[in-house]
Amino acid sequence: MHGMHDRQGADSAFVFEGDWREFARIAFPNLLLTIVTLGIYRFWATTRERRYLWSRSRFVDEQLEWAGTGMELFLGFVMVFVLFGIPYFGLSFVAQALIARGYEAWGVALSFGALIAIFYLLGVARFRALRYRLSRTRWRGIRGGSNDQGFGFGLSYMWKTLVGWIPLGLLVPWSMTSLWNERWSKMSFGPFAFEANAEAGGVFGRFLLFYLAPFVLFAGGVIMAGMGMLAGYGIGGEDGMAVGGVLGILGLILFFYLGLGLIAVAFYAKFYREVVGATRWRDLEFSFEATTLDWVKLLVVDALLVVFTLGIGLIFLSYRHWKFFMTHLEARGEILLDELTQSETKTARHGEGLLDAFDVGAI
Amino acid sequence: MADAFAIAAEWYDGTNAVRHSGELAWDGSGGFTLVSPTARDSFAAADLRFGETRPGQRVYRRESLPGFRLILPEDVPPGLAAQLPAKSDYGAWIDRLGLGKAAAIFGVASAAAVALFLTAPDWLGPRIPAGWERNIGEAMVGDFGGRICNTPAGDAALAKLLSKVDPAEERVRAGIANIDMVNAVALPGGQVLLFDGLVQQAESPEELAGVLGHEVGHVRERHVMTALLRQFGLSILLAGADSGVTNSIFGLASMGYSREAEREADEYARARLKESNISPLGAAGFFERMSEEYGDNADAPALAGWLASHPSSGERAEAYRDAADDGGNYAPVLTPDEFAALKSMCEEDPDVEEFDFF
Repeated sequence: MHGMHDRQGADSAFVFEGDWREFARIAFPNLLLTIVTLGIYRFWATTRERRYLWSRSRFVDEQLEWAGTGMELFLGFVMVFVLFGIPYFGLSFVAQALIARGYEAWGVALSFGALIAIFYLLGVARFRALRYRLSRTRWRGIRGGSNDQGFGFGLSYMWKTLVGWIPLGLLVPWSMTSLWNERWSKMSFGPFAFEANAEAGGVFGRFLLFYLAPFVLFAGGVIMAGMGMLAGYGIGGEDGMAVGGVLGILGLILFFYLGLGLIAVAFYAKFYREVVGATRWRDLEFSFEATTLDWVKLLVVDALLVVFTLGIGLIFLSYRHWKFFMTHLEARGEILLDELTQSETKTARHGEGLLDAFDVGAI
Repeated sequence: MADAFAIAAEWYDGTNAVRHSGELAWDGSGGFTLVSPTARDSFAAADLRFGETRPGQRVYRRESLPGFRLILPEDVPPGLAAQLPAKSDYGAWIDRLGLGKAAAIFGVASAAAVALFLTAPDWLGPRIPAGWERNIGEAMVGDFGGRICNTPAGDAALAKLLSKVDPAEERVRAGIANIDMVNAVALPGGQVLLFDGLVQQAESPEELAGVLGHEVGHVRERHVMTALLRQFGLSILLAGADSGVTNSIFGLASMGYSREAEREADEYARARLKESNISPLGAAGFFERMSEEYGDNADAPALAGWLASHPSSGERAEAYRDAADDGGNYAPVLTPDEFAALKSMCEEDPDVEEFDFF
C-alpha cells in the first residue's frame, strides 16, 4: 500500500508551527477559569493547552494529537488524594499522637516510613506520567503506551538513586542514565518498543564540573573580593575598604550561585543530548540538539518574561518549553506506515495524578 | 430527512498509520460512508465526536473506534455541517453557557465555598458534641506522654483552685505539665494544662486562678474546637506544609484563638473570680509583668505563644484591675502551703517524664 517515508537529508522531522498569540487565546481564558474555580479547572486547562501544543507539532507529514481529557486528569488527582493523601494525613496524625504520648522513636519511625513511601511513589509517578502521555499522544491515529504499571520501576528508582548518591554523588550520572534507559525501554509506540542505551560515561565529564567548580569559583571569588577591597581602599581609605570588601563578598556569593546554576544547565544540556541520542524506536534514531547556550537563553528569557509581566508570563512557559523541545528534537530513519499498527497496550482510565501531586515533569 | 451529498475527506482507520484520501458521503438517513480507491467504511452519524480544530481543518473521532480520525476542511457545506457534531472549545458546560457567564457562575460558587470554609470553624465548632471533642483530644495527646506532674498535696491544691474557677457539675480536667515555658493551654476534650514554667514564675495563687479561669473559659465557651477546626482548615490550605512531626505539641500551644474568644475567656475568668471572691489583682499583676517583660505588642514575642495570640497584656492587666472592688475584702484562694505544693509538684513527682525538644 502506502510506501515508506525516507527522512534522510530532509528538513527536521519534528516541526512546531504554533503561534503565541493563538496560544494566548487559550491561556488567558484558562487562567480566568482556573481562578474562578479555585484551581479545579486546572486539569481542563492543562488538557486544552496540550491539545493546542500537540496539534501545532508536526512529525514528518502529520500533526500530533493530544487525546487526553481534563476529566481523567481530575480523576487521577482525586484518586491520588484518596489513595495517598488521606492515608498520609492519617499517618502523620498517628505519628504526632505517638510523640505526644511519649513514644518519640515510634512516631519518628512512622514519619520516616511515610517519607520512604513518598520516595517510592515518586519513582512510580515518573514512570506513569510518561506512560500516560504516550498513551494519549496520537499520530495518524496510532498511540503509544506501556503494559508495565511502573511499580517495579519505583523500586529501581529508589535503589539506583540511593546508590548514586552514596559515593559522594559520583554515581548520580549512572543512576540518571540507567533510570532513563529502564523507563524508556518499557515504553512503546504502536507495535514497537522504544530502546534506550544511554551511557553514563558520556555525561560524566560534565558532572565532574560540580566537584571542580566550587574551588575555581571560590578562588575567583576571593580574588574578586580582594580586588573589591583594594578598589574600595583606593576610593575611600579604611571605610572604603570595608564597603569594597562587603561588595566583593556579595559578588562572590552571586558568582557562586550563578556559577553552580550554569554548571547544572551545562550538565542537563549534555544529559539530554546523550539520553535522547541513545533512544531509538524501530528504525528511527532520535537526537536532541540544544546546546548549553540554548538552554541558558531559554531560562533567561523565561525569567525576564515572568519578571517583566509581573508573573503573568508564567502562563506562556509551557508554550516556550514545548516549542524548545520540539525545535531541538530530531529524528532520522524510516517508518513503514503499513507495519505501524495500533498499540495493544493497556491504558489507564485516569491521568497522571500521582505526578501532578508531586509536581514534577514527565520527561 | 436531509439530502445526500459527498465531500473530499482524509481519514485514518485506527488499525494502522496509513492515511486514506477519498470522499465522505452522507446517506441522508443518519449514516456516513467513507470511500477511497483502496478502502471503504461506513458508520452512524451518532458515533461521530468532535475532536479538535487545526488551521483550516477539523478533526472528528468515533466513539466506537478510539484510533479513528476523520479530517475535514473547516468550511463544509451547511447541510453537512448540520449532521456533524458541534465544535467544542472548553468542554461541555462552558461551551453551553459561554465563557463570561460560566466564569461568573463559577466565581460566585467559589466565593460562597470560600466563605463557608472560612466561617465553618465559628459555627461548626460549638456544635460538635462534647463527647466527640473528648475523643479527638484523647486521640491527639492521650495523657501527654506522662509529662503531667502529680503529688497528693499538689493535686489537692490544684483541685481546690479549679473548684473556685469552674463551678460546673462536670469539671474540666486540669494538670500541670512538666514543661519549662510560661504558657497554658486548653486541649480539645476539656483538659487544661498549666506549664510548670508559668507556675514557677507566679507570685501568688491568685495569678494562677486567673490564668486557670481563663483557660477554663475557653473550654466552657467551646473555643477549643473552633480553633482546632481553624487550624485544620489552614493545614488543608497549606496542604502538607504544616505536617512536621514536632508540630503537634507546639501546634496546640500556639493554636490561635480569635481576640474575641480571648476577651470572652477573660470575662469568664473575671466572673468566676468575682463569684468565688478571689482578687483579680493577682491576674492583673501577672499581665503587668508580662507586659514589661515582652513589651506590649501582641504580635512581637513569637515564642511566648500564649501571649502572642492574646490581646495586649497592658490592656488586659487594666481590665483585671478595674474588676477589683475598691477596698474589697478578698480571702486568699490557697494557703501558703497549698501554693508551695503546686510549685514543687513537678520537682517532687518521681514518675514524671521530661519534656525535651526531641
